[in-house]
Amino acid sequence: MTSSDPDQPPGKGSRQRRSRAEWISFAISAAILSTVVGLILYLWAKERQQTPPHLLVSPATEVRKQAGQFYYPFSVTNEGDRTAEAVHVVAELLVDGVVVEEGVQSFEFVSNDEVRKGAFVFSRDPNQGEVVMRVTGYKLP
Amino acid sequence: MGRQQRQRWSAEVEELIRGISGGFLFGVPLIYTMEVWWIGSSVSAPLLLVTLAATAVVVFLVARTEGFRRTQSRDVVDAAIDTVEAIAIGLVSAALMLVLLRRITGDTALAEIVGKTIFESVPFAIGVTLANQFLKDQDDEETEEPEDNFNETLADIGATLIGALIIAFNIAPTAEVPTLAIAVDGPWLLLIVGVSLLLSYTIVFGAQLRNCQKRRRQRGLFQDPLSETVMSYLVSLVAAALMLWFFHQVNFSDPWDLWLRYSLLLGLPAAMGGAAGRLAV
Repeated sequence: MTSSDPDQPPGKGSRQRRSRAEWISFAISAAILSTVVGLILYLWAKERQQTPPHLLVSPATEVRKQAGQFYYPFSVTNEGDRTAEAVHVVAELLVDGVVVEEGVQSFEFVSNDEVRKGAFVFSRDPNQGEVVMRVTGYKLP
Repeated sequence: MGRQQRQRWSAEVEELIRGISGGFLFGVPLIYTMEVWWIGSSVSAPLLLVTLAATAVVVFLVARTEGFRRTQSRDVVDAAIDTVEAIAIGLVSAALMLVLLRRITGDTALAEIVGKTIFESVPFAIGVTLANQFLKDQDDEETEEPEDNFNETLADIGATLIGALIIAFNIAPTAEVPTLAIAVDGPWLLLIVGVSLLLSYTIVFGAQLRNCQKRRRQRGLFQDPLSETVMSYLVSLVAAALMLWFFHQVNFSDPWDLWLRYSLLLGLPAAMGGAAGRLAV
């Protein structure tokens, strides 16, 4: 670094003393980077006391009928801290205690407190029977 | 604000815009890669620190020889300061793109936001540092007065097509385009159009980049900066639509809005490629 005139804009060939504008850019950049590093450290501290995935599946709103098909919406929530990967959900439509239809759905990731939504599509009216949904498994990333 | 101070600020803004342009040119293809979103969604905090540190080392090494600032002094302190700035620009640019493409929403968990942003910021930060390599002003003697003729427009269209092909051809056949089209709708599509035009304009005219002075003096059909940007964006959109059709992502029986959504999404990297292509002319 040279001690030449700080009022000159940076030019080719030599490095002038940094102008105030450059220092402000650097200060903002350093603040952004420090914030991100701080966030990582915060997440790291939280990670140490993380609970395993706790996946809950629940029916969302009412069944929708369209073109002879019955759409049965549902949502999956992860109440644990750790992210679950490849979350599989199955639904069985039982009429008089007998499984008449079933569906399978999967989500790539469900992180903590995240709500993922989907729907199973049945050809018979789920209101005339009972829908049993459950998470069949996940893997840890 | 004095004239000198204004000059210093405009020089600084110019350098930052050059850095941002380089970051986007380098970083956007990786934004269209869902594996990176997945890694970012699930990676642990220590690995994020390692990633950030590794990026800093690479950017620092590049900054010792190149950099987005117009200076040839590359001592350790300057390179370290440039490294911090490049990484910060990379982080902000990547985060903005992830929000634009709805990979980060109000429902996204903090860990996922940080993970995705850091992983996606790596190529952005490297692109910022390499900005001078492909976006630097050329010497004055090369900026002779261009002729007023139709060939300039044809050359621009050709260069836009080539650039759009180079960047977007790799993205067109992938599952990212339909995946993104599901999440990006309504006002977000309008934002994509706005950002595509803004980036395209910035890369070619915004930061006194390569050939910029010459380009500004060009006269003729679609040679004014604004109309050239719009015309090139439309060319990029048509190129994007053709690439999508070529790779069977869309066909003529699909509804028009599917064509539009897919083309707008692929249009963003295509427009950036197109802008880079025009710089080379």
